[in-house]
Amino acid sequence: MEDIIVKNLLFDYFAGQISPLQKKAIEAWLQNPNNHEQYYQWLHEWELAHLQAPASWQDAFARTQERVSQEAPESQPFLAVSRNPGWWSYYNHKMVAAIVLITLIGASVFGLKGVIFYKTIQVGYGQTQQVKLTDGSLVTLNANSSLRFPRFGFGDGTRTVELTGEADFQVQHSPLNQRFVVVTPKGLQVTVLGTQFTVFARQRRSQITLRTGKVALQMSQTPKSPSIIMKPGDLVTMDNSGKLTRAHTANPEIQSAWKHQRITLDRTSLKEIAAILQENYGFQVEIKDPELANRTATGSFPAHNADEVLDMITELFDINLTRQNNKIVFKD
Amino acid sequence: MRPVEHFSVSETSFHKGSSLRHDELQSIVVDNEHLIRVAFTESTNKGFEALFRIYYQALFSHALRFVYTKEKAEDIVCEVFHDFWKSNSFNSIQITYRAYLYAAVRNRAYSYIRHELKEERSMTSPELSEQVPSAESPQLLIEYDELFQRIESVIHNLPPQCQRIFLLSRFEGKKNHEIATELGLALKTVEAHMARALSDLRKAVLAVGLLFWLVN
Repeated sequence: MEDIIVKNLLFDYFAGQISPLQKKAIEAWLQNPNNHEQYYQWLHEWELAHLQAPASWQDAFARTQERVSQEAPESQPFLAVSRNPGWWSYYNHKMVAAIVLITLIGASVFGLKGVIFYKTIQVGYGQTQQVKLTDGSLVTLNANSSLRFPRFGFGDGTRTVELTGEADFQVQHSPLNQRFVVVTPKGLQVTVLGTQFTVFARQRRSQITLRTGKVALQMSQTPKSPSIIMKPGDLVTMDNSGKLTRAHTANPEIQSAWKHQRITLDRTSLKEIAAILQENYGFQVEIKDPELANRTATGSFPAHNADEVLDMITELFDINLTRQNNKIVFKD
Repeated sequence: MRPVEHFSVSETSFHKGSSLRHDELQSIVVDNEHLIRVAFTESTNKGFEALFRIYYQALFSHALRFVYTKEKAEDIVCEVFHDFWKSNSFNSIQITYRAYLYAAVRNRAYSYIRHELKEERSMTSPELSEQVPSAESPQLLIEYDELFQRIESVIHNLPPQCQRIFLLSRFEGKKNHEIATELGLALKTVEAHMARALSDLRKAVLAVGLLFWLVN
């Protein structure tokens, strides 16, 4: 039986063009594991002869290589110094090394390492701020949010930033395809393969909305699990138990309406608005009546400051408000 | 690295020209594996460069037969290469790189499509088995082949308009409303065509799933 198994037969088989008896013969031939290498070799040849679409192995290789090298454990901060050979003239290189070392020791003793190597931008209540990173990417931070990124060498390798709060990203594509990664406090990691998206990483939940391009999500607690690839308009939410749900929205811009000093409600409950007031303006909100808390509203309104937002809410829900410093009570 | 270029080119051109005899071809294919091994002795990086050069295009094409989405096929193949790299198993595999990579790509592509069709709405992580079985059963090999053939025939047998919409959506990654504009159709019509295509596909892929896992 073996001698009828030739390449042409296997090619016909891969194309789905053989008789049941011939298939039986192939199955029998495959019973011998020694033939598996031959099988894969022919499969490969057949595939090469019947390619479905062109692809660039160079791009794929560069991407994978970059990813592997980024994941290799190494102490990043030291690289910033040692990678610059211009500093190491043979007269003073020992001195430079000594100074660097002392600085590092000093920094770690006083717990300042983070301050030296990372820059943190903190945005207070009721404000938004735009940050242009050295690679040209634009980050808009919403109120009560902070962004931390390396002070030196940002853009040399993977561009990693840490976000607490809420921000909108417009990522600049880099010539070497360096990845742009947003890490959030609960271990949800967003790797950017495209351009524009909004990340919400607060106590209540974490949420990513993608406007254009492509991003991959990964939980850092489970690095082995496959990442989730988002498409434009996708909205992925992680609740407090770490469960992810994906939804699709026709208007991903809504999630970044705050960028333009607007607040956009889409069947948003007063309870949720209370959470937003707390996150963005630092108010402590109390709602007297649970029925009231679940009442919802829809619409888009200007939100330049806290007073404007509070006025809008009282008018919209037709409710009363008492305010004492940063404590607010809503009543019917 | 010149000789490698030369070999991989001649291997591809063989299928177009087809003037080499079988034993000559065999030596070329074996030589490819040999060259990769040589490249690995130089450095891991060089080894993977050779692996990508020689196998990436064909593996990508093969993954496409299962998932019909460019981006996903790329991701699947890159993930396989990535894990192969990180796990250091390239140092110790007993089979050819080719056999390993094809088995891993098929396994992953199958898990992906099964997961995608089964649970399109809820998102729990797909049950990806990372292990490439050391000795695959003939049934398993054949089921993979039958699966991609069945997927192809489902798509082939869709009504022309439905097929067109499916390919625009999946293969070219266009959104429903973009397709609607492009073809001058109502969004509802596009959605209905997509639903039909996916339902046919679901039947073809999931109907055999049980059997498949039992064999596994």
